[in-house]
Amino acid sequence: MDDSNLLSDFTFFLKEKKQEGIKIIAYLAHDNIPEELIDAAGFFPLRLIFGGSDELMDASHDYLPPSTCAFAQSCIGLFSIKPNYYKFLELVDYIIVSNHCVSDICVSEIISKYFNIPRLNFYVSYTKNENSLKYFKLELQDFRNQLEATLGKKISDEDIHNSILKFNNFKKKLLEINELETTGSEKLKLIHKSMLFGPDFLHDLENLIQKFKDTPQPVSTTSKDVLLTGCSIFINDNLIDLIEEGGGNIVFFDTWIGNHYYSQIIEDNHIDIEKDPLDLLVLKFKNNIYSDHSVPDFLKQKVSFIQKYSENYKKNKGRKLGVINHIIKFCDHISLMSSFLKDSLQEKGIQVLNLERDYSRANRGQLSTRIEAYLEMMK
Amino acid sequence: MSLVADEIITFSSVLRIAFNMLNGRNYLKRKKFRDKEKLVAVTLPFSDLAFAAGTVPVFPIRMHEFDISRYLSYLGSASSIFGWNAVSNFLSFTKNLGFEKVSKIVDDIIEDVIGTINYKYNEMYDVGIEAGISSDFCYGLKSLVGMHVTKGKNVDACLNVTIRCSAYNKYLESLKSINKAPKQIWIDIPPRNLGNSIELLTDNISNALNEFEKLTGNSITDNDLRAHFKIGNQVKRSYKNIIYDISASDFYPCNPATFSEIMALLSITFQDYNSNAVRYRDNIVSLEKEMRERIRKGVGMDVSKMPRIFVTPMFGGWEPKTHDIIYELGGRTLYADWELLKFLEEIPTAAHTNPSEEYARFLMRATETGIGCDNDKLTDSYLRMATDLNADGIIFFQLFGCHSISNCYAMLREKVRRELEIPITAITFNKIGDNVEQVKTRLGAFMEMFPKKK
Ligand code: SF4
Ligand code: SF4
Repeated sequence: MDDSNLLSDFTFFLKEKKQEGIKIIAYLAHDNIPEELIDAAGFFPLRLIFGGSDELMDASHDYLPPSTCAFAQSCIGLFSIKPNYYKFLELVDYIIVSNHCVSDICVSEIISKYFNIPRLNFYVSYTKNENSLKYFKLELQDFRNQLEATLGKKISDEDIHNSILKFNNFKKKLLEINELETTGSEKLKLIHKSMLFGPDFLHDLENLIQKFKDTPQPVSTTSKDVLLTGCSIFINDNLIDLIEEGGGNIVFFDTWIGNHYYSQIIEDNHIDIEKDPLDLLVLKFKNNIYSDHSVPDFLKQKVSFIQKYSENYKKNKGRKLGVINHIIKFCDHISLMSSFLKDSLQEKGIQVLNLERDYSRANRGQLSTRIEAYLEMMK
Repeated sequence: MSLVADEIITFSSVLRIAFNMLNGRNYLKRKKFRDKEKLVAVTLPFSDLAFAAGTVPVFPIRMHEFDISRYLSYLGSASSIFGWNAVSNFLSFTKNLGFEKVSKIVDDIIEDVIGTINYKYNEMYDVGIEAGISSDFCYGLKSLVGMHVTKGKNVDACLNVTIRCSAYNKYLESLKSINKAPKQIWIDIPPRNLGNSIELLTDNISNALNEFEKLTGNSITDNDLRAHFKIGNQVKRSYKNIIYDISASDFYPCNPATFSEIMALLSITFQDYNSNAVRYRDNIVSLEKEMRERIRKGVGMDVSKMPRIFVTPMFGGWEPKTHDIIYELGGRTLYADWELLKFLEEIPTAAHTNPSEEYARFLMRATETGIGCDNDKLTDSYLRMATDLNADGIIFFQLFGCHSISNCYAMLREKVRRELEIPITAITFNKIGDNVEQVKTRLGAFMEMFPKKK
């Protein structure tokens, strides 16, 4: 997928933000950062959702051993090389050091230290229960304080409420992408653009969704339907092309920039402006039950979600659904659970392809063969 | 290398610790089937609550049979009749008689203690990979999965304490998929000490204690906790004394290779106190005494001219030949991982204290100032430890697949060069015994940096 246009548009967009005096706060791709607080402070949340390459991975080896996840390596590479389409990274004012996984900590810490970008901290407990929700609130409060210190003034509850509403509505719209009658790559383009531009893109997103609804683009009936779980396919990554060229079509993106994100939607009846807005953000975190960050029930939730989705899909569409578990090489969370996920789903009659890869070009042929073999077997 | 054997057998406490480590299977079977006690799997030094709850914590590798346990069980039987000191004296005596066969048996018993443990670790590593854990993970995790695949079904519960390592936390989650039967008891340590985090952690500890109560059917009182912490504190005191007063001093009670072998044994056994806290306390306290006694009598070795090489981390897997090689190259190896990670801090036990809260503070200190929530903190811990040990150089084991500790090396190297101005080098590690030649070459080059002291 060539995303150079998207990146040029985004560069332009970000420059405009910068000219308006808006500060850019970057963070790694995952799913628990309270972007609403960043927005309420008047900053722009920049999610680093960019795929990698040999060159980017190599550029990280001064800082980290090559046995670090390929995405983390590439993030460092992006800040180190700043290739043409990524010059906008020069505009980043702060980076969030967070612990979605330990590579997330290392990478954001390295970006801060070696590329001179001040850091903000936001950490999340590994378990999800009453106490970790309470802890999440402590982190939110601390994060709010950090933002206020940077801003030099208080962030009002009202502004936080407004941002929560704004992002919540945005997520609801994003959710509609799943139902569109079009290819996975078209859906992914919409997801990428939305996640990059954020709610500023809502109006365009509404129009685009309407356009797809008005003129559906039916997908070839010979293609095999697939749910993508595990790691996301990021911007400028050709994996989706390989899947489509191999005869597959991703109908659902069950990843950080997909289901994990929509699952955080807060029900309207919970949004009470009298309430402490931080409690709403806690609720959002609580809703994110599919997050791979959490233990001990990630696998249980994941299996039950995929099973239900797959059964419903078969019932409603009359078609079988395959599952590709995308594992970015050396990803702690997704890799460690991959054999258990595969075994549990296969026990339930769902065929799974554990597709592990890094971003090197040399992989392409082997990836295609594996995808084709899997899709072939899916008949 | 009978030099090590000669040295170790004169420390009866070391013999006991080694025996208890390797003979764990029999001991644990007795506890489980005869005494009807509950076995609880632990990793890293997180055994305290399991002890206080009256269960038997076990680092899972100890449920295996070890190759040399037949000899050791003779010694075990002899010791139960004659006492360990007598056995130790007897071994020294028989070795000195010069009967080749007896001498060989004694060598086999002693020399191979660490070797035997590590051989089993390697075996578990292979089982882990066969069981489906990707070979991309660190040595420690692959071996742990192997341990649970082979023996995990024998435990009644697993005590799972989250740390900052995401791979480790996911491994903990996977335990219930590996074996369905054991109860999973969790303690979540908040990543940072913010607001009332200590209160939340105290509550997490209380919840874990409730789970232990359900497991055993017995209630756990504050006094049970204090009683165990007191024993743990004595263990830690002796361990610290051995690290600071002896390993950092200029006269060793034995040769440095033997000394490192003992430190490696302590590092492994500290995780579960060989499943018996009182016995372990007695052994480590007498080990300290035996060492001091030898030093007092001038028995041992002047090591003042040997550079102090701090070798770390070792707990996730390291090449155990390192200390022999460093010794042959004229240096001495210091191991102090648990102190570096703040696991040797004592827990207050005064009557007015709330023991669960004190334990929460202990865990939080280890998280905040030991392993640290980021690499800036973690590298500070290495610096602090190297300074406290007065280290002349640092060997950093960079574990293949470790994204938590190993990834701090670039930052550590920079800080060490800037702040300590001592040599540091990294050695990559994948599996025990895999690249000993390379380790030798690296260490050879590294040790060249230390001028021979006259
Ligand atoms: S290890 Fe996985 S979760 Fe962590 S940064 Fe890499 S891709 Fe993301
Ligand atoms: S910190 Fe490193 S060595 Fe320890 S369990 Fe995690 S990955 Fe393995």
